[in-house]
Amino acid sequence: MADAMGFYTDTTVCIGCKACEVACKEWNQLPATNGGQNTLSGNSYDNTLRLDGTHWRHVKFIEDFSPDRSQAAWLMMSDVCKHCVQAPCLDVCPTGAIIRTEFDTVVIQSDVCNGCRDCISACPFDVIGMNEATNTAQKCTLCYDRMQNGMVPACAQACPTQSIQFGPIAELRQRADARVDTLHSQGQTNAYIYGKEDMLGGLNSFYLLVNRPEKYGLPASPVLATVRTAPSWLFSAGSAVVAGLVGLLGFRKHRMDAIAAERRSSREA
Amino acid sequence: MLLERLNTIHWDWLVYLEMFIAGIAAGAYIVAALLEWAGRGNSPLARSAHALALPLVALAGLLLVVDLSRPERFWHMVVQSERLLPMLKIWSPISVGSWLLLLFGGITFVSFVDFLIDRGVFALGGWRRGRTLHGSAIGRVWAALGLLAAFGTAAYSGILLSTTNIPGWGHSTLIGAVYVATAIITGSAALVLIQTIRGLVDADVVALARTNTWLIVWWLALVVIFLATLGEGLRFIATGIALVGLIAAIVLAGVVPLVLGFVSGARSRSYLAPAVSILLGGLLLRFAIVMGPQSVH
Repeated sequence: MADAMGFYTDTTVCIGCKACEVACKEWNQLPATNGGQNTLSGNSYDNTLRLDGTHWRHVKFIEDFSPDRSQAAWLMMSDVCKHCVQAPCLDVCPTGAIIRTEFDTVVIQSDVCNGCRDCISACPFDVIGMNEATNTAQKCTLCYDRMQNGMVPACAQACPTQSIQFGPIAELRQRADARVDTLHSQGQTNAYIYGKEDMLGGLNSFYLLVNRPEKYGLPASPVLATVRTAPSWLFSAGSAVVAGLVGLLGFRKHRMDAIAAERRSSREA
Repeated sequence: MLLERLNTIHWDWLVYLEMFIAGIAAGAYIVAALLEWAGRGNSPLARSAHALALPLVALAGLLLVVDLSRPERFWHMVVQSERLLPMLKIWSPISVGSWLLLLFGGITFVSFVDFLIDRGVFALGGWRRGRTLHGSAIGRVWAALGLLAAFGTAAYSGILLSTTNIPGWGHSTLIGAVYVATAIITGSAALVLIQTIRGLVDADVVALARTNTWLIVWWLALVVIFLATLGEGLRFIATGIALVGLIAAIVLAGVVPLVLGFVSGARSRSYLAPAVSILLGGLLLRFAIVMGPQSVH
């Protein structure tokens, strides 16, 4: 197996140019929204709005202004599938369409997916969506085809500020920790890494953030949905046992009552 | 805290209708299995359940297939598309559910054939009228197997909802438990309704109708516990049209049959209204639970 590969996205150097979005769309031949007709969302400079089946990269523009606008910060972040080490989408996929590759990334095989859409519901980051061209669930593949040929994913290749960095995870984590130390020494003590090993076994696409995860539209504590499977079965079995006991006792009593009533009425007749 | 969703999964009327129909089939078969073990596997009520379960399971399976975005690939649920080996992931509720539906379908198919043989429609060698599966010692084993498959079929779709990160569903591990109870009360109601319409109200049907009143108390308690323990997830289920559906479900499947049960005697016609009310309530509960969280964006 090859080294685990992934993305380290340093949001402090993102300039919101969207070159990553364009490169992703171009390489993966993803269709344009509204047939390419430009529609302004009214949400800052963000007209993509979300990750889904045809938007595998999404540059977020978060306007962090105080009510009187005396304090202002513009947070920019290029979001993507997190390629979780414990991936909820992969766990719940009933067809085996979602696989873990030799690079420890998570890929949906479009020719296997039957469109049950359970992976969309299981993803804690709301990354996966339906691609209407294929009628299957899709998301970032971390450019699996490029990686197999020793190439850098299109988005990281296109990023002009090295906000998106690609490489072996172990190396990226060292680089990210060093960057956090640098920022702390420069007085930016709110810098931290989102997606360390304690989060779903580690995110193979992790981020350097300078505000709360919720500010970036990320969950503070993403959950592996399948942790609820065993307790759910247990409670269901409990419900069945109680209903079974109530049913048996009730049925026995009421049947005896009904037979007695039938006998009484036939005697009276 | 679960992230509010922008990507919609479009599990709508096909899905909650499937849950409702599969639940009735499972509930009816559970009643038949318990009757089998009480030595009444050949009773008209049990036979009615055998006749009902298979068509409903088949319809439920069909609805699930139609709901897929690529229905022609439905078989990928149970067979690996490249190696043609069985496809089962025990931690995936849809994978387990697909196998349970298949197993339950097979079991109800045999029971349905047994029902036809009992009616004298045809015979298969020694398997003939007077020597049927149900009502025999093997019938008890078959019923036990069917009971487990029916339970799984009733539970899995609720467990599927809990095993998501959708706010409202992912906030509870009790949806499966509520679904099992709903399946049993709606399955029982369907059997009582059918037997009443057919004019076959015997002691078994009277007993089932009255027992269902007890079961409704359990169902109501479960629904209340489920809602009370949802926490911040409550606002995703008790919202908009889903809230109306939820209230209507509690009134129709809970309050109305209980009130009618208290005021009615043993008159056979009095079972019609409560049975219809329970069925409507069961459908509305599935609607509310499935659609509520999907209507919040």
